[in-house]
Amino acid sequence: MNIQILCYATFAEKSPENANNFPVYEGETVKDIVVKLAIPVDEVKIVFINGVSADLDAKLADGDRVGVFPAVGGG
Amino acid sequence: MSIEKLLFEKLEGHFVEKVFPKGVKVKVAPQALLKSISHNFELDLHVVEQASYSAGAVPERYIRNLNTFSQVEQAKLFSSKVAMVGLGGLGGHMLESLARAGVGHIVACDGDIFEPSNLNRQFLSSESTLLMKKSAAAVELVKNVNPAVSFEVESQFLEGDQFDKFISGADIVVDCLGGLQHRSQLKDAASRNNIPLVTACVAGWAGIVATVYPGDASPADFFGDNDGLEETLGTPIPAISTAVGIQSAEILKILSGKGAGLAGKALMFDLSGMIFDTVTL
Repeated sequence: MNIQILCYATFAEKSPENANNFPVYEGETVKDIVVKLAIPVDEVKIVFINGVSADLDAKLADGDRVGVFPAVGGG
Repeated sequence: MSIEKLLFEKLEGHFVEKVFPKGVKVKVAPQALLKSISHNFELDLHVVEQASYSAGAVPERYIRNLNTFSQVEQAKLFSSKVAMVGLGGLGGHMLESLARAGVGHIVACDGDIFEPSNLNRQFLSSESTLLMKKSAAAVELVKNVNPAVSFEVESQFLEGDQFDKFISGADIVVDCLGGLQHRSQLKDAASRNNIPLVTACVAGWAGIVATVYPGDASPADFFGDNDGLEETLGTPIPAISTAVGIQSAEILKILSGKGAGLAGKALMFDLSGMIFDTVTL
């Protein structure tokens, strides 16, 4: 199965070429994907799946739109 | 004669009717008329515009706001009060936006002065305002852009329960702070005073905007109060103006009665990949 992974801000440089069609295995979590992409887990502050905030431990399903967002505070 | 009666007499009969597509007719108070009444009778332009609305006419300066806002909604903007914290990158553009839109009452605070590193993005900063107080530049802006706005500004950095007094009586609180240190404190103050908050944060090409009603989650709840990535990525202008556009739309929709689009949600964007997501927090 495949997901779409959106890497925001500093994570953009870790975004894979196949971000729109990223393969995942049954039972894999957001955290598994974050680690696979070498994104520092402790820098991930907001996770969302299909437009709703979620935990890093949330399991993925085919076709999910998944995003990871770091802390930004500038103004 | 009362001021109200005097103003009504001076205004009545001088309105111009404008007909919009679909037959909507609006009485318009010409700018020159309002200015001359303000000048001749030494009345604050705010009072004269108020009389215009009371007489059922929209001041000419807001005519291109119609019919995105109805006449009734435009009048609601004029009777609204916004409390905004921060007059830097977000705050300068925000102040311009709210003043032009015709929000009638604005209070703002920022204890900072302008320095060269502000010039890449801050609307109120310029060669001529370097080292000047941001609050002083804000006064000049409102005077030049829309003197009908009743504007109060404090040259102070507020924190903790100092925010309570500052936001008292406001219809909406706007978080234009720089950095994460005080954002949770402002959110808590807005919540304590039962006032909705519209917040925005940016770094690099990315940003996040959220509308936070009392009890709702805010991006600040996720981010903590240490420095964010803005220290690494900087704050170039495209993310600032994008964030302010979204933030200002939320504020004007809430004040006019149209309703928030981001209540309990955050809109996050990254202009490097042109990605936008609206997320329920």
